[in-house]
Amino acid sequence: MNDRFSEAAEKGSKLLQSAGCEFAEIRFSSGVGTTISLSGVNVDSMTSGESLAGSVRVLKNGSWGFATFNDISSIERFFNSALTAASIASPDEKSRVAQSGSVSAVFRTEPVEDINIITLDEKFELIKSYNKILQSSPKIQTTKAIYRDVNSRYLYMNSEGSNLSYEKMHCGISLTSVAKDGSIIQPFHESVSGYGGYEIVRGREELAEKVVKIAVDMLSAEPLEGGTYDVILDPRLSGVFIHEAFGHLSEADFIHENPRMKEQMTLGREFGPVNFNVIDDGSIPGLAGYIPFDDEGIYPQKTYLIKDGILTGRLHSRETADKMGEGVTGNGRAIGVMRQPIVRMTNTYIDNGDRSRDELFDSLDDGLYAVDVIGGQTNLEMFTFTAGYGYKIKNGKPGKMFRDVILSGNVFNTLKSISMIADDREMFGGLGGCGKGGQSPLPVSYGGPHILVKNVLIGGRK
Amino acid sequence: MDRILESIPGKYRWFDAVHVAGRSTPLSFRNNRLHSLSESENSGFGIRINRDGRTGFSYTNDSQRKAGAVERAYSMAPYGDPENFSLPSDTTLDFEPYDPAIDSFSVKDEIEAAEKFISDMRAAFPEISIDMGVSASSGVMRLMNSEGVDLSYRDSYYSVSASCVLVMDNGVRIDTWEGKSDLRPVDYSEFKEILIEKIKRAQLQEKIATGSYPVILPPQAFSRFAGIIASGLNGISVWKGVSPFAGRLGEKIFSDKFTLADDPLIEGSPYRIPFDAEGVNVSRKELIKDGVVQRFITDLKYAERLGTEPSGNASRGFSSLPSPSFTGVTVEPGSSSFKEMIAGIERGIVAEQFIGLGQSNTLTGDFSASLDLAFLVENGEIKGRVKDCMMSGNIIDLLKGDVHFSSERERKGSIVMPYTMFPAVSITA
Repeated sequence: MNDRFSEAAEKGSKLLQSAGCEFAEIRFSSGVGTTISLSGVNVDSMTSGESLAGSVRVLKNGSWGFATFNDISSIERFFNSALTAASIASPDEKSRVAQSGSVSAVFRTEPVEDINIITLDEKFELIKSYNKILQSSPKIQTTKAIYRDVNSRYLYMNSEGSNLSYEKMHCGISLTSVAKDGSIIQPFHESVSGYGGYEIVRGREELAEKVVKIAVDMLSAEPLEGGTYDVILDPRLSGVFIHEAFGHLSEADFIHENPRMKEQMTLGREFGPVNFNVIDDGSIPGLAGYIPFDDEGIYPQKTYLIKDGILTGRLHSRETADKMGEGVTGNGRAIGVMRQPIVRMTNTYIDNGDRSRDELFDSLDDGLYAVDVIGGQTNLEMFTFTAGYGYKIKNGKPGKMFRDVILSGNVFNTLKSISMIADDREMFGGLGGCGKGGQSPLPVSYGGPHILVKNVLIGGRK
Repeated sequence: MDRILESIPGKYRWFDAVHVAGRSTPLSFRNNRLHSLSESENSGFGIRINRDGRTGFSYTNDSQRKAGAVERAYSMAPYGDPENFSLPSDTTLDFEPYDPAIDSFSVKDEIEAAEKFISDMRAAFPEISIDMGVSASSGVMRLMNSEGVDLSYRDSYYSVSASCVLVMDNGVRIDTWEGKSDLRPVDYSEFKEILIEKIKRAQLQEKIATGSYPVILPPQAFSRFAGIIASGLNGISVWKGVSPFAGRLGEKIFSDKFTLADDPLIEGSPYRIPFDAEGVNVSRKELIKDGVVQRFITDLKYAERLGTEPSGNASRGFSSLPSPSFTGVTVEPGSSSFKEMIAGIERGIVAEQFIGLGQSNTLTGDFSASLDLAFLVENGEIKGRVKDCMMSGNIIDLLKGDVHFSSERERKGSIVMPYTMFPAVSITA
């Protein structure tokens, strides 16, 4: 396969040299992966497969043409179909891209333990051992334990003369226990993944133990009563909050052609307290959102979205950067070669504040501690996200455990209601990822320290 | 077929393989203008092989490496669970989910129609931003097995969606969409009227206090809730014991007005299929009839585990093992029209779109979601928008109690649903 890959790459680079359009890029990938999925006492599936993908994207006369295929040996034909597609329309308003210099580099994941030297038996035994822990309480009804690894090769070339390649090794596990007591059913889930080797998934017994314990504990937790609460978010939830509620709002494709949104997201506008800093940084190796270069051939960077409470930056693709006259940030990403890059986050987090975790709790006489996360969604004005579980806080002390903690609110008001920021930031990212524009899951990570937010609306019965 | 047989390295009990190939032409409009035009051509091959009662699986989309996939599937088999079902040999092909009119898809005409649609919408709302996707695709699905089945069918698919964003002077965002899919290119000019009316209403703001109100869910919104019920009817969750309906066949769980069917043959639906992904013949089946749970959906594996007849609900892509899933879900209509429902409400809500639905513990039917787009109903009339509030409850309980379905139904994708009214739902403002 390597020969055909190189052959196609050579043909592609010739095509790019004489493309005859404003911008053109070719992406190829090939991957081999193993997935083992166990459930209760069963093997749901055990799969090893391979895939090959190619795409051409061209910008001609202000119009984009895109072609995707898996027969990479016919690259000339698909290059022409992308050019033809771009030529069909002649828009009045033309798309343009920010240019960038020619870059060439080779990147490679450096695993501690190469997944290719680990036998299938060994991978099977490891995930089986975690699955056994997941079943270790009589209250567990079923489990799901997934192991996944992928070895892939990615090649990016464009008409600016860039030639970037990335040999990627990615590995992770996803662990779920479903506890049941009468008619109450409580699932709990944890996942870890990253770029690296088998070291990422080895020695995760504690994680599996946590999953069972919380699933079982949640059986006796009551649903939280709806209302308005002062809430301390744990680092994972503060990470999801910033990703969902603010991160998406910083994606310039939501802003660049919408005057009202542009006005709302004017740089320099006050967004939060003075010690509030929000960053997106795709250049941190190891994290799930790490990229050596984005899917438009731009290197990632550390971008301050909010600095000292003031809106300072946003995330760009080549197209939005040109449109808004701002610099590229390396956030043009696609979930795979078969999809077009759009503006996406990488590793997004709230930076540390200057309070300790204890100070946050001590300040709260009556409130809620919301821990972990099941999911979140935003429409860029309002957000809703579901904490894994929570505890009522009385006089700084966490008390009774609650489930169904669903937080909701207006993004802008909620950011302004952040009243204290701790100094214990952590980052998270699992086998899942972020969804946007029908592209899901895209690997990202998110995180933050504990934060205290005043007056959050919690949904619930009663 | 012969090449597969040649590649299997040793003895086997059975095998089946799928080969899919397709082409599509998606057009994408962003922020009121044509953004990109794509051409896509893809294929893939997947095979599972049962050796001594255990099954292995592998896939590739590299047409020159199918033999490698066959060998990998064979070598993975010993890791599988014991499976003793056999594959069908009596698969019949009565129709193709294909309309030759898909070939009449004209990129130029579609661009023109979309541009006309956008300019009409902008005439109504100069500040509006519209994203549209229009796509036509066609392909071939081929299923082969060791019992002599070797059948192919063509499929065609056309879809269009229009998503509108209007940000008001006070920062309030109106974000709403319409979409449909068919076997062939279809007119979608009716979206205009529907969207204009929704957006006009959404510009008027109404208030509602925390309390319990009658709520109407239009077909699209109700389908999200019906989906929660449907997932409990899946043989997998029944077998794992996490379905609220496990062990309750024949029991009356819901209102006798509630009848839900799995229908792989919905007229006009591009999701209809002549046989399932394992070659089992398909038919319409009532899963819940007059409130009573009748049966669950299965593939061959889960039919064996649950000790029932396979329901013909196996679904698979080339890169995955078959697994039970729905090809069409229908809910039976009721007697009064949507208009009559509205007329009977003194103070209530029509809830169109949610944020965060399905992120709670849906296994038990619990939900709690923000109202993304919802309208107040006052004295029998639909008024303006209510926002910044959440709707919570349990969908099983709601469908158990007093529930009303409208006489009219709509098909959205693979579902056919009526408007649904619950007389008392909890709203937190």
